[in-house]
Amino acid sequence: MLTYTVRRILGMIPTLLLISVVCFAVIQLQPGSFLDQYREDPRVTPEALQAMTRQLGLDQPVWVQYLNWVKGIVLHGDFGYSFANSRPVSSLIWERLGWTVFLAVLTLLVSWVIAVPLGIYTALHRHGKRSAALNFLGYLSLATPDFLVALLLIALVLRTGGTNVGGLFSPDMIDAPWSAARVADLLAHLWIPMIAIGLEGVAGLMRQMRASMLDVLSQDFIRTARAKGATGRRVLWGHAVRNAVNPLISLAGLSLPSLISGTIIASIVLNLPTIGPYLYDALLNKDQFVAMTLLMFSALLLLVGNLLSDLALAWADPRVRFE
Amino acid sequence: MHVRTLTLLTLALIGTAHAAPKKVTGYGSLGIVGGKSGGTYTLPLGDSPQSLFYYGAIDNNLGLISQQMFDGLVEFNLATYKIEPALAESWTITDGGTVYTFKLRQGVKWSDGQAFNADDVIFTYRNMIMNPESRAGDPGNFKLGGQNVTISKVDSMTVRFTLPRPAPAFLLQQRYFIMPQHKLAKYGQESGAKPGDINSAWPTNVAETEVVGTGPFKLGNYTAGQKVTLTRNPNYWKVDAAGKQLPYLDRLEFLIIRDPQAQVAQFLAGNLDQLNVTGAQFPDLKQKEVAGAPFKVMRSTALFGSPPFVAYNFDAKNAALAKVFSDVRFRRAMQSAVNRERIIDTVYNGLASLPGHGVAPVNKAFYANTTRQLGTFSLNDANDALDAMGLKRRNAAGIRLLPSGQPLELDLTYGTDSAVYPSIATILQSDFAKVGVKVNLKGILSSRLLATGQSGDWEMILHAFGDQPDPELRRPIWQPGGSLYYWHRAPQPAKDGDPANTARMASWEKEIYEIFNKAAVEPNAATRKALYTRWQLIFAQNLPVTPIAKPENIGAISTRYGNYVYNLGVIPGYNPVPLIYQK
Repeated sequence: MLTYTVRRILGMIPTLLLISVVCFAVIQLQPGSFLDQYREDPRVTPEALQAMTRQLGLDQPVWVQYLNWVKGIVLHGDFGYSFANSRPVSSLIWERLGWTVFLAVLTLLVSWVIAVPLGIYTALHRHGKRSAALNFLGYLSLATPDFLVALLLIALVLRTGGTNVGGLFSPDMIDAPWSAARVADLLAHLWIPMIAIGLEGVAGLMRQMRASMLDVLSQDFIRTARAKGATGRRVLWGHAVRNAVNPLISLAGLSLPSLISGTIIASIVLNLPTIGPYLYDALLNKDQFVAMTLLMFSALLLLVGNLLSDLALAWADPRVRFE
Repeated sequence: MHVRTLTLLTLALIGTAHAAPKKVTGYGSLGIVGGKSGGTYTLPLGDSPQSLFYYGAIDNNLGLISQQMFDGLVEFNLATYKIEPALAESWTITDGGTVYTFKLRQGVKWSDGQAFNADDVIFTYRNMIMNPESRAGDPGNFKLGGQNVTISKVDSMTVRFTLPRPAPAFLLQQRYFIMPQHKLAKYGQESGAKPGDINSAWPTNVAETEVVGTGPFKLGNYTAGQKVTLTRNPNYWKVDAAGKQLPYLDRLEFLIIRDPQAQVAQFLAGNLDQLNVTGAQFPDLKQKEVAGAPFKVMRSTALFGSPPFVAYNFDAKNAALAKVFSDVRFRRAMQSAVNRERIIDTVYNGLASLPGHGVAPVNKAFYANTTRQLGTFSLNDANDALDAMGLKRRNAAGIRLLPSGQPLELDLTYGTDSAVYPSIATILQSDFAKVGVKVNLKGILSSRLLATGQSGDWEMILHAFGDQPDPELRRPIWQPGGSLYYWHRAPQPAKDGDPANTARMASWEKEIYEIFNKAAVEPNAATRKALYTRWQLIFAQNLPVTPIAKPENIGAISTRYGNYVYNLGVIPGYNPVPLIYQK
């Protein structure tokens, strides 16, 4: 198992290098440059543009820019410089990482806690009216984009005279020290993003869980378990659910990169201080090292998530073994 | 001799009597009244500031905050837009308009209590404004006819600029924010820093106490991606008519909200106290106001702001089209097919007015009334004029044929991500079709419009350039051969800084070229105005570009606040916020 893990981790290095080359190439293929947005400004003379090009190293050939960037990471752990912010990329990302992770983990947990029981329920009561209603709601929320749900919720809150229409805090609580009131304020704001972002995940997971349950329920080992005289509950939780949950473990690993890119539009609409909108801007403006770092981070999360879910699978499913 | 000494003495006495602070009076016509101190005012900010150092990033959001923390030597009068004293208490212009001497205001203190003096001004001009490596500097304005403007210190409270030639717009430009030397010295070239180092001063994670200014507010707190809080600067140098210290407000908060719809929602929820809105958002908000919502929606004619225009490429790749485009009869004929009224009504919800020609109609100092030359919308006139210029033949589809036999069909390049361009483009397309000119819409990102324009790879373009209070400040756009005069690139010099190629200009372009050269150095205000009047008339008759409309500024403000004057936007030297008070 350990050898396997080490081998997998070592295998990530060439993969990441390859991904970085592709990402860099794609960013370069985008027309224009970071400096284009300044050409229209009467304050910016052609000489100033030249000076900026030189300062930012954009006058060097693309492959030199790339190699310098990789060299910086390997030798100094320096992920480059944000053109727009004149600050190292890593400190900028760090600033925004906290709320991003908090929101992502929370929505992930909430959607799991809701989706798995619902999936099991709808699988066990395939032909019930309640299941049909739940399935219908599932389809509906799957088909509704998260930002639209967010907008609808905002409209609803406004209509009922509420004031918590976006962001994570009321204006006067944003920079206040932590207190009971601040936590209450956070909770009052948190439910909108939880519903808007979490709902889509719930629907998907629920369908997955349902399908997987149905699959497992018709397997021989369930019949065997029943024949052995195990109780209904033991058959359900000990055998059926335990096996049906395997595909979801893989899914959980794959959903790690959504930390960064999963909720860009909802974050913009709901005004959440997460990394998503930042990546969006960096790509639009060709702030290349910010975009590169975020994309690489996203790729790394995908690889790590994959590895974690494989390990978790091995632990959960006795049929999966590496040795 | 005695008389002179006496006058000097009296002047000196008046000088001391008037020395700091500046009394802000005379705005009764704008509805300004005496306010009371205290309160918090919350505004939206479109995105996180990229830096907290104004000259380190070209960023509107940073500009909006900086405007409240820093001042320039001179500023705009809020009602007349005339230049009046700010950090400079007075100035003299001597030696035929080439020497500008600014006497600084006595007793001004930085927000950390240090005294403000000439060294700060010189430090700021040398390291930031005149420094070509500084991101948001403005070195281009300090090179006249290829020679540099020099700045020198006369005494601790006087600075002097010496110009290589007269430049009447120079005073208007000196609204640049002045930065504190005592906080930024280590980034200055005097202490051995490289010229480009200045850009990395005050990054967004700087300690709040480092950011020091002379403006009405100082930096209180910045929470990344969420909020910027400014607090009252106790040392601010302005007082109201009754002598009460400004600003009235204790705190100014900027909530960072990227989505315009989210800003509206936050405003309706009462979390924002003021919001600048677009024509599209106006009807909904106005309706709510009429229904008794606790805010007012106000509209005002705009001085700054980009009026959209259409331009035809005189150097289009298709030679037959280029020939038609550079024929003034064609541009005039097509102007009759531009339905300005409809665009103002439907695209801007009526919240725009007829445009000027390079100068905003509200600009009393320079605008010449060219409304008549805008003509009226008439498809018949357009048809007749196109027939008259020999484009009579049409093909089976009703499209006019060029003399070469090819149909008169052109691409209109416009920005798809703008609130107004797509609808304007469709209106133009449909009306042009009715006079036998086929328009194919070619949408690109608005941020690419200028680069596309300058590349020459387009036929007709829908774009906008801002008006400025003095036409001299927009010379690269409107002077033929200028770097932004992209609809006719033939006269542009091969190398930046070389004189334009006048041989390739049409006679009217040559005249405009001469006018700009003359007006740039003409010290007499009346003569300058006459020159620019002539330019606007030539512009209106020859239509290097066809202006479409001048959008108005619309702002919504909570009724809890008084003394609201529409903020022109991020314009250094125009700041009505210190007068706002909480009722």
